[in-house]
Amino acid sequence: MRRYFLLAASFSLLLGLLISAWQEKRLPKPIALTPTLTGQVEYCLTCHLDLAEISSSHPVKTFGCVLCHGGERLALDANLAHSTMRGGKNPSDFSVVQASCGGDNCHSGTAESYRNHIQRATTSIQATYAGAIANIRYTFGAQPDLKARMGVFAVQVPQSTSGITELAAFNPTQETNPFVQVFGQNCLTCHLSAQPVQTGGRYDHFSGCSACHTPTQSTDLTSVDTSTATDVHKLTTAISYTQCDTCHNRGNYNLRSITFEPRQDLPADRLHDYYQPIAQFTSCEWKLDCIDCHTRTEAMGDGNLYSVKKDIQYIQCKTCHGTLTDLPQTRTLTDPNDLAFRQATLNPVIDLKLGDSILVTEKDEPLWNTRVLPDGTYEMFAKADGQRYVFRPVKGSTCTQDPAKQDSGSCHQCHSVQR
Amino acid sequence: MSRSTLSRRDFLKLSSAAILTACGLLGLEGLFRFLTTQTEPPPPTDFDLGSASNYPPGSRTVHPDIPALLVHTQSGFSAISLACTHLGCTVESKPEGFTCPCHGSRFDLQGKVTRGPAQKPLNSLRTGITSDGKLHIYTNRITPS
Repeated sequence: MRRYFLLAASFSLLLGLLISAWQEKRLPKPIALTPTLTGQVEYCLTCHLDLAEISSSHPVKTFGCVLCHGGERLALDANLAHSTMRGGKNPSDFSVVQASCGGDNCHSGTAESYRNHIQRATTSIQATYAGAIANIRYTFGAQPDLKARMGVFAVQVPQSTSGITELAAFNPTQETNPFVQVFGQNCLTCHLSAQPVQTGGRYDHFSGCSACHTPTQSTDLTSVDTSTATDVHKLTTAISYTQCDTCHNRGNYNLRSITFEPRQDLPADRLHDYYQPIAQFTSCEWKLDCIDCHTRTEAMGDGNLYSVKKDIQYIQCKTCHGTLTDLPQTRTLTDPNDLAFRQATLNPVIDLKLGDSILVTEKDEPLWNTRVLPDGTYEMFAKADGQRYVFRPVKGSTCTQDPAKQDSGSCHQCHSVQR
Repeated sequence: MSRSTLSRRDFLKLSSAAILTACGLLGLEGLFRFLTTQTEPPPPTDFDLGSASNYPPGSRTVHPDIPALLVHTQSGFSAISLACTHLGCTVESKPEGFTCPCHGSRFDLQGKVTRGPAQKPLNSLRTGITSDGKLHIYTNRITPS
């Protein structure tokens, strides 16, 4: 009996060794890359050699793959190599973004060096969803006013200048009002950590930084085929309106049932199909992309906590066009380290030079894709496609608007396009 | 004529021995490969640029594989590293200086920062000419420009 056992054990051992040898033979010949930043060899390109550079700011030769994505850099087996990746396909998810994208020289540096992106993004109202939560809780009597007290995750900003220095994590199960509970169950789908309501279609998107900065094939207007939502290996600051619309125009909340009803159509014509029928738009509002007007702090926050979108969103028509009495604010670029140059480098739709004058906002944010022309008009280059637009100031025109009335509704009275 | 017979016990013994021998050989082969596997060599630090006479006075030659810019002036050879001191991207040599395509840092012709985000000047690399007239750049001996 012992002999049979020994033979069987020997045979099993041989079989195991042969299988191991066979599996090793099947492994691809490794393609090594030693990124400048890490100096550690990684074999990711063995399988991912055909992947496009993710952006001109993150060349694979410098960054490699593992620095951002994590993973087992020396593994040749796909499952093992991917087993420790951060955030799956998306290392910018806010649960892992600090490890993936942080660092003093990367995206968690100081505000003075314009490198506090992670701090700004994770405290922005798009990330905390604090306004919606406060609104619903106030509506149903769970809090006495509209001041934000909770976000989708807890966050503290002791130095916040907005009067709100912390938000507690919103927990629907601890709410006593049933409507607030239902809101918590059905409506926490509209913030930067949320997974998309619809996957695989026009309104599909990633979470975290990639919610805005990584298009899918169906939202990437530079893509040849926009009929599918195949992932695109891309980080961009040239964000088209289609990317914003994956959250901001993907359906409606049903206030009776407190549910979100995603739209089912695939709009083809931007002006007529995309937006709410009752809304009015000037030419700028539907021809340009959202980011052509809305600034980096409006979209990504300024590092403070806010209760509502209007506390951070401040761009008006007069920011670019001025009023009957005042020209828009401008700044002549004299400092080579002006933020405008940095932004124009990352998305080179305009060739800014020292001495150029550009438009700036009321908060002195550079509208870096604009330039004052010698004849007193202005040019603007669309950030998503580089299209050039020339426009005039209101001052000196036949506009009859009251300079004190600068809300979009007032401008729409004369400048709204027919739909 | 006698016919040798193999008992069942001997057959099992022989089979086991044969299989174990095969296992041992396979294991030894694996051990040999493990011990002789070449790890990835460290990046080179000594670059042979060929004959020094190929680089006449006044020349500025980009060597993208290093990456470095070799400059030959009246005072001799010098080299500037083209690795940006911000994050290490390869800067582009322009008539007015150097530009980083990744994040927009700019440097003058001497490698000094004229626009961030880089804070430090480009590094100078040591050059040398061997006894056979070959020009070398050494990337492990750097100093700020």
